[in-house]
Amino acid sequence: MKRKTLIQNIAFGIFRLMALSVVAILVWIIGFLVVKGAGALSWEFITESPTDGMTKGGIFPAIVGTLCLVVGSMVFAFPIGVMSGIYINEYAANNWVVKFIRVMTNNLSSIPSIVFGLFGMALFVNTLGFGDSILAGSLTLGLLVLPIVIRTTEEALKTIPDTYRQGSYALGASKLTTIRKVILPMAMPNITTGLILAVGRVSGETAPILFTCAAYFLPKLPTSIFDQVMALPYHLYVLATSGTDIEAARPVAYGTALVLILIVLIVNLLAGVLRGYFNKKLR
Amino acid sequence: MKKFFETVVEKILMVSGTITSLTIILIIVFLFSQATGLFNSSVVEENHSLVVNSQNRVQTLTPMQIKDIFDQEITSWIEVGGEDEDIIVFRFSDITSYVSEEELGDEFQFIPQVMSKIINENPAIIAFLPDQYLPNPTDGTRVMDCGDITLGDFFGGEEWFPTAQPAPLFGVLPLILGTLWVSLAAILFALPFGLAGAIFLSELASSRVRSLLKPIIELLAGIPSVVYGFFGLVVIVPLLQDWFNLAVGETALAGAIILAIMALPTIITVAEDAIRSVPRTIREASLALGASKFQTIVKVVIPYAVSGIMAAVVLGIGRAIGETMAVLMVTGNAAVIPTTLLEPVRTIPATIAAELGEAPTGGVHYEALFMLGVILFVITLVISITVEIIASKRPKQIM
Amino acid sequence: MKKVILLALAAVMTFGASAQKLKGSDTVLPLAQKEAESYSVVNKSSNVSVTGGGSGVGISALMDGSTDIAMASRKIKLDEKMKLQESGNTVIEKVIAKDALAVIVNPNNKVSQLTREQLEQIFTGKITNWKEVGGADLKIVVYSRETSSGTYEFFKESILKNKNYMASVLSMPATGAIIQSVGQTPGAIGYVGLAYLTPSVKALKVSYDGKTYIEPSFANSKNGTYPVVRPLFFYYTKKNEAKVKPFIDYVMSKDGQKIVGEVGYIDVL
Repeated sequence: MKRKTLIQNIAFGIFRLMALSVVAILVWIIGFLVVKGAGALSWEFITESPTDGMTKGGIFPAIVGTLCLVVGSMVFAFPIGVMSGIYINEYAANNWVVKFIRVMTNNLSSIPSIVFGLFGMALFVNTLGFGDSILAGSLTLGLLVLPIVIRTTEEALKTIPDTYRQGSYALGASKLTTIRKVILPMAMPNITTGLILAVGRVSGETAPILFTCAAYFLPKLPTSIFDQVMALPYHLYVLATSGTDIEAARPVAYGTALVLILIVLIVNLLAGVLRGYFNKKLR
Repeated sequence: MKKFFETVVEKILMVSGTITSLTIILIIVFLFSQATGLFNSSVVEENHSLVVNSQNRVQTLTPMQIKDIFDQEITSWIEVGGEDEDIIVFRFSDITSYVSEEELGDEFQFIPQVMSKIINENPAIIAFLPDQYLPNPTDGTRVMDCGDITLGDFFGGEEWFPTAQPAPLFGVLPLILGTLWVSLAAILFALPFGLAGAIFLSELASSRVRSLLKPIIELLAGIPSVVYGFFGLVVIVPLLQDWFNLAVGETALAGAIILAIMALPTIITVAEDAIRSVPRTIREASLALGASKFQTIVKVVIPYAVSGIMAAVVLGIGRAIGETMAVLMVTGNAAVIPTTLLEPVRTIPATIAAELGEAPTGGVHYEALFMLGVILFVITLVISITVEIIASKRPKQIM
Repeated sequence: MKKVILLALAAVMTFGASAQKLKGSDTVLPLAQKEAESYSVVNKSSNVSVTGGGSGVGISALMDGSTDIAMASRKIKLDEKMKLQESGNTVIEKVIAKDALAVIVNPNNKVSQLTREQLEQIFTGKITNWKEVGGADLKIVVYSRETSSGTYEFFKESILKNKNYMASVLSMPATGAIIQSVGQTPGAIGYVGLAYLTPSVKALKVSYDGKTYIEPSFANSKNGTYPVVRPLFFYYTKKNEAKVKPFIDYVMSKDGQKIVGEVGYIDVL
């Protein structure tokens, strides 16, 4: 009996330790980047262009570029993703069509981002002739995050009890009215969570924009959707590997990495807050 | 009227519902359409030919032989089935060491004649020429027919030299093995931690600890891969070099560690879901029989959730195989078949990311990279279908 | 006089003030980026975008019209030129600077000079240990650029006499990464543009004749004694000439060429 508890205690201790080490890894990564990158962060860093061969100055154009890509991809992915989530959950009967769509959505989410890059280059850049542009990059990224939006929409709709739908129907409302007036308003905070997570994903992806829109250096901000942009993740990649003086560019690289991490932190925080708000409301 | 409107909306929703399927079909169509040209391309570089003396008995050469001849690894025709003569390698730029520039003509119009003269005078020559300067075939010269790139060259080839002249080598074996090598190692590292994390979260942690840990794991999943790559480059790589006293720090090991960290959130989340879905009654039955909590976990809960845990593992492998930027930055990208974890490897995604930008659009190299994309796509598709099958098996195991 | 030229330049610039896109070689990238940076100071309405990717990508972008100037660290290839001509474009070549390639090793390496033949054997895998060339008993770790970069091809042409590198070289996506790795790897050898040299690596003296070893330096590259020097190109099409001329004129001007020196390349004045 005693041995049994001893083994259990040891095993659980190991489990705890290993779970803790996951936390430790995160703390290590973030801590390292904060320590190294905090010195570079300043108001000028996020509002000025790079200068002196990217070893000084800020990352403003890259921030703007990432913003363009986020907005562009969301304009595309959000409506389509939400609509297809509504279709799957509210309209399609639980038949093979839905099953098929679900499998396809799953498959789409498992396709590596570099394959999206190849596809975006072949379709948007070459075949449709958009060239390296915000448009091509946004569409590529939009397709990449589509499964996230669809899935969160579906999950958000699923959590709404059927009684609400039946209540609405009983009052004589049509299906569309029910969705518009009852279901969507209730599900919105959770759908927004998906949107925010998608934003986080888009702002961090490098491989899909490598061949569809990312630029090494642009002196001006983009003026149309057919312009190229600098983007934060690509900028970090460039700072980490190219440039004439890589050591001199390191502080800027740490700073850029930190900004990327901060975006992810904020995104996750926002999503968490929204989720909490939603759950409370539903109760 | 209202009814009509409703139908229209439903149709629109239906169309957007099909978009993911449509995208997948488009991806398949485009990847394949860009890649298929590869196997119709000749072994020798486009718009160029290999020309030999018509006396030469050698009819054809494999891409490997061509490379070895031009690298002077093969120096006699006897090694490729010809006479016992030393091979004279001739590149187009060598022409001026045979004749003066004036003899080529003002607009290089005499090059074909000059070439046939050179080839006739040197029976053991092999000349690599642009097609517009080919000598007249009746002049005692012969264009060597080396055929097209074959499936065997591509999938069985052990050397990846996409820009080698005269014949690029597209052997993807080292790339495929490199990708699998790094990914499997990553999962081996990640699995114990992932499983422990999942068990801890679902069985041991109080709800307060859990609500603290979950966001941290999500955060780990949210960190962009380029940040992981950067971290790997400046921290992990020098660290490994120190610890193992390695000649190089950029190794499969560095890639595997970074990938393991990146795959952890997937494994933990999916495995935790699987463990959580084990019915309470089964647990209680085990405990009621006098088993300890630990015994219940090991003997009852994990076997019950094993298909879900498998799904987590496969999903993690899928994530790792497709990962690009982080791997590109830390693995050293040497295209050799891996034998240990402590040597550099080159993965498929890293190859695409590093080379596509430089490959001329529509060329053989470009097509080969799209073919790599197809391979990657097929691998991940197989993985995701496997997960689907494993996951759908779960309910049947209940009884 | 200078003012007149500047004014004339400014006049031409406002005429062709539309966006100019530069794309191509990562070697030319830092130079083009700095030129674009200072050009935008001289000419406020300018909009020069600079993208990397490699010489090959620049030239194929020139073919499909997605760039105005292709930056290249190698000469345009015959079939690339032919493809451009087929589409009715005459390509114009401009040497904007020169770049010397330095062979670098870890600063702690005893070896300080090598002949071309030795380098060839090291990069093709015939020599694998530093003791074979007079160094310590240490495995040689060979770093190279990615297969299709102009730097890779030039080094192959010039040092390896067109032979292929061995398969197990570590290919780095960019020059900066080579410096970084050679700096922290005791047995490493690699090659980078002179502009990239930092104190964290040691540049080797190179000999082509086996007798005199030449140090890679600006002076030696400019007077032609250092052998591993290559021109850096801008390529553009005749039909785009009016559009790109102002920027190229700026690059070729005294101010522009001063930047060439600052970035670490050799000016062509």
